[in-house]
Order: sequence, then structure tokens, then C-alpha cells
Amino acid sequence: MEPNGTWVYAITERVDLTPLAQIRGVGGRPVRTVAAAGLTAVAEDVDLAEFGEEALRRNLEDLDWLETTARAHHRVIDAVAQQGPPVPMRLATVYSGDARIAAMLTQREADFRSALRRISGRMEWGVKAYADRQPEASDDSAVTAGASRPGGGAGAAYLQRRRNQLTAQKNARRDTLASAEMIHAELARYAAETRVHTPQAPQLTGIKAPMILNAAYLLDGTRGEDFAAAVAALADQHPGLRLELTGPWPPYSFAGTGEEGGLT
Amino acid sequence: MSALASRERGTPVQRHCIDADPESVERGLVSLVLTIVELLRQLMERQALRRVDDGTLTDDQIEKIGWTLMSLEEKMAELRDHFGLEPEDLNLDLGPLGPLLPYE
Amino acid sequence: MSSRHEEEPALVPTAVTSPRQSHQPAIHTERIALVDLLDRVLAGGVVVSGEVTLAIADVDMVRVSLRALVTSASALIRAGDDEEGPGR
Repeated sequence: MEPNGTWVYAITERVDLTPLAQIRGVGGRPVRTVAAAGLTAVAEDVDLAEFGEEALRRNLEDLDWLETTARAHHRVIDAVAQQGPPVPMRLATVYSGDARIAAMLTQREADFRSALRRISGRMEWGVKAYADRQPEASDDSAVTAGASRPGGGAGAAYLQRRRNQLTAQKNARRDTLASAEMIHAELARYAAETRVHTPQAPQLTGIKAPMILNAAYLLDGTRGEDFAAAVAALADQHPGLRLELTGPWPPYSFAGTGEEGGLT
Repeated sequence: MSALASRERGTPVQRHCIDADPESVERGLVSLVLTIVELLRQLMERQALRRVDDGTLTDDQIEKIGWTLMSLEEKMAELRDHFGLEPEDLNLDLGPLGPLLPYE
Repeated sequence: MSSRHEEEPALVPTAVTSPRQSHQPAIHTERIALVDLLDRVLAGGVVVSGEVTLAIADVDMVRVSLRALVTSASALIRAGDDEEGPGR
């Protein structure tokens, strides 16, 4: 199995490969580097039969393959980040050889240097907020069971009840959105940069409560504890919400070099 | 060694199949159908409330429409129970457009 | 790194671990929730006009994760069609 492609994990200035010798990457081959323009691409030789365009289109829709590969991709990036945050590449950035990678580094040198400056000494923290579902009298219809035909006023009463419920729901939604904005504004004070992502659907998270905030915060290395304390304090202030904090992450959400207009 | 090294080169990777037993297929279809019905029910309900607010309905019409919607909601609850579905199961995620039905 | 996996009906804030000291090996990666991870590696990171992946870079990667993770009625219908061909 001759490797004929190269998977790129991240871009950094320099990296010591010694601690990465034990890290298993996406293809099981040694993690190595490609240097050009004073930058270093962290990479690995891969087989295009598995990691080429056609194969990727298939494999990316295989959840097992996707999970294994995503975890391996992150594992390498995270290990590199121990030496200083790199600019992570999106999953599945594959080249046909080192020359192409070197050319890419040379061409995008200014962008990468600018990104590395922005993330230098900083890591990403993620905060998600969920609105805990209000216990609702959603089975009100049972109250009027037994009315066999219209005329007793039950129909009109039902409409009134539904109107009240819809209004209450609308108000609750407005309140939780206001809370989400407030929380984000408060947490943003700790961050050099923030990104607000689309909230995730319950089918994706496995959590029934609707997600009302899904944001990433780029924090100086020393601010993590303060930030965690701030999240805990906000959770206390908003008993109707559930807050989740993850991190530190390599700065995936802040890697945009401006060419694609940054991330949502 | 890559976890995938044992796969033969050139073998198409098996698509990850969600549980494909007939029962769960039926349940998936049922929840899809009921989701659409629920969407229509909610739309009709909102429409009815708007017309009540507009004052374009007589008391008799209000009573009849309300009673019909109430019966429809009871029927939906029965169907959900019958298929072991929770209200939250009746929804569709439209990606960037968010969920089909609002979370209650 | 700390992350919640299962939902629990808790109204208390999720406990957070203190930030990992630098130079610590990344030993906790297997416990990261898949949804958090995929969000970042598929929708985050730099997109370069790659080469092999030039076409894929244009694909909305978030949709890939949705297709793979969310139970879709069409997949169930296809599966029920007794004609599950290999890939597409």
C-alpha cells in the first residue's frame, strides 16, 4: 500500500515531533512535517484509496469512519497545541504531495502568520446554553374529554386556552433569547474574540431541551479559570437554563484567515 | 495501524445504517407522517385564532372550529400514545432553517 | 477537557474542570462528545483551496454531520426497500 496522498492537520511555525511519536493519526502512519516560507505543516502520508476525493465522499457519511477519523484528526492537533496553538485545518484537507503543500504555505504565508498572531497563547472555550423545558399543562385537552359534540362552549374555551398557551410560549421564548444574549455579552468580556454558532437540534445533541446559545470564546491562556467561574456564576443567576462549558480546545473556530470571510 | 487497515482496498465502505428492522422503519415513517399532521394542526390552530381575533367568526363558528381542533388534538395524542411517540419526536430538523415545529 | 455526554434533567450548572496546564499530554480526547468534536473539525478549521479536496471544501460540512448523525426518514425508507446497495 504505497501512500500517494498527504493529509494536513494544522499549520504552525515550528513543532517538536518527539511528543507526537506515540500519537496515532488518521492513517496510522507517523506524523511528520512539511516546511516552507518559515511555516510548518503538520501532516501524514495517506492512501488516496481511503482519503481521496471519491473515497472521502463515501467515508464521510459513514459514522464510524467519521468518528474514528475526527478523533484522530483532533488528537494530533491537540498534541501540537500543547506546544502552542496551531492553525487547525478543516477535516479532510488532502494533497497529492509535499510540493503542493509547500506551494500552499508560500501562497498563504501572510494569512497564516496573521492567524497565528491572533491565536498566539490563546485557546478556545465553548459554551452551550439550553432552556430547561417548562412543565406545561400540555394535556389540557383531557380536561374536556367527554364533550361529545360542540355547543357547550368547550370549543371556544379550548381556543382561549390555546391562545393563552401560545402567548405564554412566545413570551418564554423571548425571555430565554434575551437571557442568551445577556450571557453571551457577559462572557464575551473575557475573550479576545468570539464566534456565535447555530444552535444544534435535539436530534443531534440527544438533549430534548432546546439549545439557545452555542458560542466559542478565544481566551488568553491565563483566563480559563476566571471564565469557568463566570460560567458557573451565570448558571446560578439563570436557574431556568442549563449551561455547558467545554475546553480548552485548539482554536478551530478562530482559524479563519479572512479569505472565506471568517466563520458564522 | 489504522483501525481501517483491515478493510480491503477498493471495498466500498459500508454505509452506516440506522437500525433497519421493519418495526423501526415503520415507526420512522409514522413519526414523519404524524409530524406533517401536527404541522397542519398547528397551522390551522393559529389560523383559527387569527380569525377569532379579526372578529370574522360567529360564536357558533368559533365553538365548532374550537371543538374540531380540540378533537384533533385528542386524536393526535391517541396516535402518539399508540406508537409510543413523545411530542418531541414529532419534529424535523431543517438544518440552517432550524426545526420545523417550534419547541414547546 | 470536560464535556457532558448524556442529558440529565439537572438545573445545576455543569461542573467544569480547571483548565489543563500546558505541556500536559492530551489524554482525555476519547471522552470528548462526538457532537462537539464534529462541530469543530467539520465546520471549523481553515478551508484552503486544497487539491484533492477542492470539491469537498465547497460542501457544507455541517450537513455531512447531520446526514450521518440524524435519523432521516429517507434513510429508513431506503433501508426498508430491501435494496441497500453499496454506497451511492
